[in-house]
Parts: sequence; C-alpha cells; structure tokens
Amino acid sequence: MSRVAEPPARIAVLDYGIGNLRSAEKAFQHLGADATLTADPEVIAAADGVVLPGVGAFGPCREALRRAGLDGPTLEAVASGRPFLGICVGMQLLYDGSEESPGVAGLGVLPGTVRRLPPGVKHPQMQWNRLHQLTESPLLEGLGEDPWVYFVHSYAAEATSDVIATCDYGGPVTAAVQREQVFATQFHPEKSGATGLAVLGNFVRLAAGARSVADRGRS
Amino acid sequence: MDLYPAIDLLGGRFVRLYQGDYDRETVYGDDPIAQARSFEAAGAPWIHVVDLDAARTGEPVNRDVVASIAAAVSVPVQAGGGVRDEAAADALFSAGVARVVLGTAAIEDPALVRRLAARHPVAVGLDARGREVAVRGWLEGSGADVIDLARAFSDAGVAALVVTEIGRDGTLEGPDLDGLAEVLGATEVPVIASGGVGSLDDLRKLAGLERAGRRLSGVITGRALYEGAFSVTEAVQVCTGARPGGAP
Repeated sequence: MSRVAEPPARIAVLDYGIGNLRSAEKAFQHLGADATLTADPEVIAAADGVVLPGVGAFGPCREALRRAGLDGPTLEAVASGRPFLGICVGMQLLYDGSEESPGVAGLGVLPGTVRRLPPGVKHPQMQWNRLHQLTESPLLEGLGEDPWVYFVHSYAAEATSDVIATCDYGGPVTAAVQREQVFATQFHPEKSGATGLAVLGNFVRLAAGARSVADRGRS
Repeated sequence: MDLYPAIDLLGGRFVRLYQGDYDRETVYGDDPIAQARSFEAAGAPWIHVVDLDAARTGEPVNRDVVASIAAAVSVPVQAGGGVRDEAAADALFSAGVARVVLGTAAIEDPALVRRLAARHPVAVGLDARGREVAVRGWLEGSGADVIDLARAFSDAGVAALVVTEIGRDGTLEGPDLDGLAEVLGATEVPVIASGGVGSLDDLRKLAGLERAGRRLSGVITGRALYEGAFSVTEAVQVCTGARPGGAP
C-alpha cells in the first residue's frame, strides 16, 4: 500500500542576528522538516510552525528582535493559532518582562515574569537535568519518564498555569510551558540529544497537523 | 558524571597522542563529523573537541571542522586547543560551541578567564605533569602547581575545571585518582577528569570518587573508546546509571 508522501512541514526559525541560531535550524532539517532561518515576514506568514530561539540576555535579545522588524510577524504568528515554539531566551521574550532587564517589556504573549533562579545554587544552571512533566502536552509526548535535557540559563519563568514541566534546581524551575498553540522550553531541545530531537519532532508533527487543517479549510 | 567522548583534531583528522607527544600520534580516522554523530547516536551527553594544531601554535587551523561538528550534533560541544584570546573564544561560541576550554591563556592571563566567563560558559584546562601545569600544547611547563591554580580559579566564574594528568593521557593506564581527589577538595568548581581511562572499571572508580562531599562532574575519554575497550553506551551507563539520550 502506498500513499502520496506529504510535503515536509515548513518551519520558520526567526533570525534576528543574535548568537548561533543555526543549530535549531539544523536540528529541524535533520528531522526532515523544511526549516529556514529567516527574518522575511512573508516566509514567516507562510510557515506551518514558527520558532523563536534565543541566547544571551533578555534586554539585548528583545531589542534585536525589534530591530529585525520581527515583533509584528512574531505576534501575528502567535495570533494565527499556528504552532509556535520559543526556546530558552526565545521563551523568556514571550513573557511580560524579566528581572534580568527591568523596564524592558516582553512580548506579553504569556502572562507572567521571568525571574532569577533561586539563591543557593550555581548561576547559570548549565547542565543536563531531568524534566518532570506536570501535565500532558503534545510537545512532550513519548519522552519516557523524567528524561534528561540540557539547560543553560540564570533566569526562568515564574510558575503559572501554563507550566507543563519543571526541573529541580534549588526548587522547581519552569522548564516547559504550553498555552493553546504556543509552546516554549527553557532547556535547549536542539542540544538535548535524542530527547530534544523527540521534542522538536513533536513540534514538527503539530505544525504539519495545523497545515492539513488549514488546507482542508481552503478546499 | 557526564561522559565526554573526545575528538582530537590534527590536520583535519582525528588522532590520539601518547602522553601529549606530537610524534606519537595514532590516527583514528579522517571524518571527525561522522565520528561526532556516532558518539551522539550512542548516547553521549557531550562531545569534547580539541584542536591540537591550535594548541601547539595558536593558529585555529581546524576551526571549520569544530564548527561543522557543533552544527552536526544535537548535544553540547565543549571545545579547546589554542584559545588564547577573546576573539578566538568568541569565534568558537559563534560557531555553536557550548563551552570553551582555556588552557595556556588561562594560566598566562587569568583576567581573560574572568572577562570571558562573565559572558560565556568557559572551562579552564589544568594539564599537569605531576603537579606542575603545562602550557603551549604541553610542550612547556608553567612552574605553577595544579592545586594552587584550582584554588585560584575558584571564584573566577568558570563552569568547570578540566584536569588532565599528562603522564597518563593516551596510556589507558588508569586515572590519577589521588590527584583528582585533591583537586575536588581544593575547589567548589565542577571538575572534569581527563587522562588515562582504559576500562569501565576506571570509569566506575571515577564515578565513585568523592572528596569533601563532592564528586566529579565529568570524564573525558578518547583512546579507550577508539580502541574498543568499551562502547559509549556502556560508558554512559557506568557514568550515570542511564543518561541522557534516554528517549524511546
């Protein structure tokens, strides 16, 4: 039995000129997705799923995103209901703001503030740590029990009802969130080996699923 | 304890030296990227890459290869060898390296370590012949004591100390457990052991090593993996129970 192969999901990885964003793009390509590192609003609007990576500090990343002209396309992608994934500082940018950069407004997609990691533990957390899943989420499907993922951060989102997984670092620390079709991970799935690729693979499937719904709507 | 399989680059190929002797290299292959992928596929949580040409001369002749490795794998890459200024470190971070190891530069310019560590994850490589730390591709002694240096870098903000016993490196004769225990007791910075691992039993001893309530955070192995003393999968199991890459 054969069927026509579906074209790969189109994933737009937002390029705003900070750090090394190629690893996320490469990881998606490795999974067979049609992934592009882009700042082109048309490419972003046509994508089945949009990814906001990030590395460094909150304030400079926020400013770089704005300067790249990506505030509008990012908010439109979220509003469209297509699957959206924030990674590390890209996750933090989705919140109202961060203790790291007082006075700098975040994108306000997710309610809450990004706070400094608890005292008494080494900052940054830079290590493999176990993920404790709090609720079921399609992003974390099939990962097995308390899988290991790789973190590099000194700040994390405060606990809200969006949290789907935590890690233990001087107490529970927000590691992944979901609010409708907005997903985000504080850990780096693109550096978390097989577990990370499984997370990104889940996102690609969500994006592909969103496209087939949109295509049916069009026909 | 994280396993760091090592890929040492010399002229674009990956090799192991015997006790750091550039005239006693064993060539293991000429496709370091495929090797990194295979380490990752076997469950390695990190890949450790050293540019041996750069370690000796400071010229980053293998930087493109290091960048290709970092782009090819989806686990963090720790890289070192000849990183003697901020520009060299920044180039590696831009290439996707997760943590840069400073050796000679750390000993000769400790302020550089502090500056870089404030911006990036940095490790300091303390490569000792006996107790004396060596520099410049291990071709010269520094006159500095490894324990004194471990203490000196305790508040420098570094992510780890990579402690190598040169006399054991590439020998498979077993790690210097006493020396490593002494370093563990001298600092609160995470310590990664390197040099001499020849068997799973060596890894067990390292995983069980404890001083002042502290354990090793990682172990670098090269020759033992290449010569089949154990597999990455076996080593990861011994190092940590079963981590990471444990996805079904």
